[in-house]
This record gives sequence, structure tokens and C-alpha cells, in this order.
Amino acid sequence: MTLREEVRQAVTAVASPAHPGSDAAGAPRGTTSDLTIDETLLLHSAGWEPVDLVYGISWWSIPWGVWQWTTGEVQEASAAFTGAVNHAVKQLRQSCEQSGGSGVLGVEVGVRVSSHHVSIELTGTAVRRTGADAHRFEFVSDLSARDFVLLTRAGWWPLGLAAGASFVIAPRRTAREWAAQQGQNVELPNLTQALYLARERAMERMQQSGTAMKAEGIVAVKLREGKASSSARVIQFVAIGTGVHLRTSTHRSVSPEMVVPLDEQVRVFDVKSLRSAASE
Amino acid sequence: MTESPGQGGAVPHPEEGTAPLPEGLPRDASRRLAELEDRPGHKGMFTSDLSVNEFLLIKEVGFHPLGFVMGSSIYHLGIQTRKWSQSQELSKLTEAMYEARQLAMDRMDAEATELGADGVVGVRLDVNYYEWGSDTAEFIAVGTAIKAEDGHSYRNLHGKPFTSDLSGQDFWILMQTGHVPLGLVMGTCVYHIAHRGLGQTLRSTGRNVELPNFTQALYEARELAMTRMQDEANELGATGIVGVRLEEKSHMWGDHTIEFLSLGTAVARSEGEHTIPHPKTIISLDG
Repeated sequence: MTLREEVRQAVTAVASPAHPGSDAAGAPRGTTSDLTIDETLLLHSAGWEPVDLVYGISWWSIPWGVWQWTTGEVQEASAAFTGAVNHAVKQLRQSCEQSGGSGVLGVEVGVRVSSHHVSIELTGTAVRRTGADAHRFEFVSDLSARDFVLLTRAGWWPLGLAAGASFVIAPRRTAREWAAQQGQNVELPNLTQALYLARERAMERMQQSGTAMKAEGIVAVKLREGKASSSARVIQFVAIGTGVHLRTSTHRSVSPEMVVPLDEQVRVFDVKSLRSAASE
Repeated sequence: MTESPGQGGAVPHPEEGTAPLPEGLPRDASRRLAELEDRPGHKGMFTSDLSVNEFLLIKEVGFHPLGFVMGSSIYHLGIQTRKWSQSQELSKLTEAMYEARQLAMDRMDAEATELGADGVVGVRLDVNYYEWGSDTAEFIAVGTAIKAEDGHSYRNLHGKPFTSDLSGQDFWILMQTGHVPLGLVMGTCVYHIAHRGLGQTLRSTGRNVELPNFTQALYEARELAMTRMQDEANELGATGIVGVRLEEKSHMWGDHTIEFLSLGTAVARSEGEHTIPHPKTIISLDG
């Protein structure tokens, strides 16, 4: 087999569902999931079952030169991120529907940003109600099965992934500012502002994607930040959470009980290395 | 201390002549917060970095999350000379570490106030260093603003929302025991620990002896940090501080300079009788 054929075969395999014509044909088949035994049991107790491991992958290109020729926020990169997330979620949804699931839980979000592209990889477990015939697609969520069961017990349901990102190039200080700040305790207003705004924008975009799916709230928001692309001056902020809404008329109390676990390890003695301070 | 225009919790807007913003927040922040609020023709929503467990427990004690709030400040740390053989507090660095965190927390407070919150829970304080800034660090405070659903105000003595680094679980337990959080209190102390002289090193070689200068220096630095934290709690009229953590970090100052940071949540008894529910003992089956 030539390399070209091999690549073509791999691409077709990625594009087609893992179990073509699965349940519609009525053929019995096993389930695949990355849930633990506990989680699977919990799901079953709540009337749900895992179906299949599903994924959505999307790569978006970023125009050449935006990192070098812009200052402040890199809008093109943020737009590429939003596009990639939307597309990956769409794929995830398709792959979930093809496997006969009505929701995806425990989605792991992989974000990779390089100078020329943004890639988003979503992997999760498709789930559906036990015993139901028709499966309408309902949600995508990065919550675990455990969180899902707890949340639905209180009347709240996940809707979808809410995500937002912002990429910013940290401004430089002028030579005069730099000189005036040497040896001083001072805040650096232009840098503070640039990074502050970038964080706010990432969160705002996440909120907007939440509003778009008519969520009443976004829970378990994770704010990731770090260096993007090859330049140390480019910083990325990514905010991801699960949009939720209330399906019952009011919030149902889960009435927690106070418990003392008896098998917790007791820490008697804490030895900590402070070598950097104690060594001569 | 500084002539920075960013003092008092406001991120400056140097390039634009826009109207003054509520609480001095940057425009984008105000816009984001406004989108969270309910108003005619616009359905608001909440955002929160609380896990599902925490979210449900917060609801359980009668609070509703309003929004994820944050504050940050990029700060240039001053220089202070240290004597090789002298243990001393580096007051300039202490001031910087305190003030920068305070700026970040004030801004977080301002965001919470804008949302009309009663408090902020799950507060995390982080320090970031970037490759491009020598002697600069970014101080960040993030948390989830919450509001009581029954309209009762939980704001503290200064009329500000309380802040707390307690998790949702701890917050629930605290409320069960009849206490309310008043504020996140902190004390910090950057301390230079003297090197040992040659004579001291020789005398202690091969022997079981305490090293009094190290012991003393570390002891004093910790005490200073904790005293400062307690002073802050007294100012809030607290009856106690829970969840105190004492963190020791060298940041970027090399071997002998350490920051001692003590952090905790100041609490006070709430009105009314409270019976603490008897905890159930369980043995969980997961290894």
C-alpha cells in the first residue's frame, strides 16, 4: 500500500463513525466508555447508560503574520479559537448522534495553539436514557458522570460547552518608563490593563456562548492561561465551563449530611524540604 | 508608597477620555458584568468556577452564585539591599507583596460590588512571573461572587462583600456551625535570613546543636506574618480565623530571602441559636 493510500484510508476512517449503522440496524453491540465502574453504576442508577466513546477534532488556521504585526489583542486568533470550538462540538454531536447517544459527558478539552493554527480536540462518553427508543440530542458537557447525576438530581441540566479565549501581546514599556520604575515599588498600569482586559474578554466570550445556548448559568469554569505561540510576549487566556439550566420550576435541595470518613490517613508529621533556605 | 495611578482598586484608562466608570473598573469588565445581570429584554446568567458539589452546597445554605470575579495587578518590585550576615525583614519587598495583592483583591471586590454580591467564596490568590518582566510579577485574585436568596445582607463592617478562600464545602460547614465569614485576611513578611559565619559553621560541624540564628529568623518572620493577619481580622471585628495557611516561597530572590504569607478567613458568630448537627461516621469502600 502506498503512503498516499494509507493516508487516504486513515482520513476516511477518522471521518466515518466508529460503528456505522449501529443501533438503527438493530445489531447488538458492546459499549465503549472511559467511565469508571463507580460512574457507570451511578449513571445506571439515574436511568442513563454509556454508549460509546466519541470525539470531535477541529483545526483552524491563523493568518500568517498576525503575531508580528498586531499589538494588543490578536483578534484573528480568538476568532479561530471560537470557530474551532464550534466545529469540534458539531463533530462531537454528530458522532454522538451516530452512535445513538443523546448527550456527551466527561468531555476532555485539548487546546493547542501554535503560530499558524489552533486545534481543539474533544473526547467524551456518549450517554443515553436506558430503555428509551428515540434519542434526541440534549447536551455536551465536561462534567463527570458523578457531577451530572448530582446536578440533575437538583433539577439542573447541562446544555453545552461554553468556551471563550483571548490572545494578547503584552505591551512593551518605553525606555523612560523602564528607567523610572527601576528599584521602585510600582504597579505597571499598561501591562496590568492589557492582561486584565484579555482575561475579561475570554470570560465575556464564554458568557456569550452561554447566552447563545440559553443557559442560566455556567458552572465549573476553568481559566487556563499561558504562553501562546513561539513568542513569550503572547499570552493566551482560555475559559471553559458547562452551561446549565433549570428544568424543574425550582431548585431541588440535595440535603447533604455531615459525615466523618474513618479511613482518612492521619498526617502526623510533616517533613518539608526548605533546602533553598536552609542550605549554606 | 507609590505614585501609581492604579491605586485604590482602579485600573487606569490612560488613552481614552471616557466617562468615569462605576468603581473604576475597566470598561470591558463592566460590560461583562452587565451582561450577567438581569434587566428588561435581557436574561442574565451566572458564571462560576465552583464545581457542581460546591454549587449545590452554596444553594443549600441559601446563596446563589452571581458571577466569576477577578482582579489583577502587574507590579514592579523594588530593590532592597540585604546584609550578608544579618537577618532582617525587607520592608520594601513586604510592602510590595502586600500592596500588589491588595490591589488585585480590591479590584475583585469592586467587580463583586458591581454585581451586588454579599460575598466572594473560593478566592484564590496567585502570583505569575513572565519571561519579559524582570522584577515584575502579576498578582491575581479570582473567586465566585454570591448573594443570599432571602435578601439578608452579609456584607462586612465596611459595607463590602465578604471574601473567603473557603471552598463551597467548607463554606457550607461553616454556615452549619453558626458562623459567617467576614473577609479574607492576610499578613506577609519578606525576610532575609543571615548566612552563617565561618566560625559558626566550624563550631557546629559534626555536632548536635540548634542553629539559633536560623531558628530565630524563621520564627520571627512567621510570627510577623501571622500577627499582621490577626491585626486585619481584629479590624473586621472577627471572633476567629479559620483555614489558616502559612506559605513560604522564595520567589525570585535567591536562597536566603523568603516570603512568609499567612492567609485565612476571618469569621464571626451569626445571630441566633445554632445546633451543630451530629456528624455521621462512615467507612468508604473505595481504596
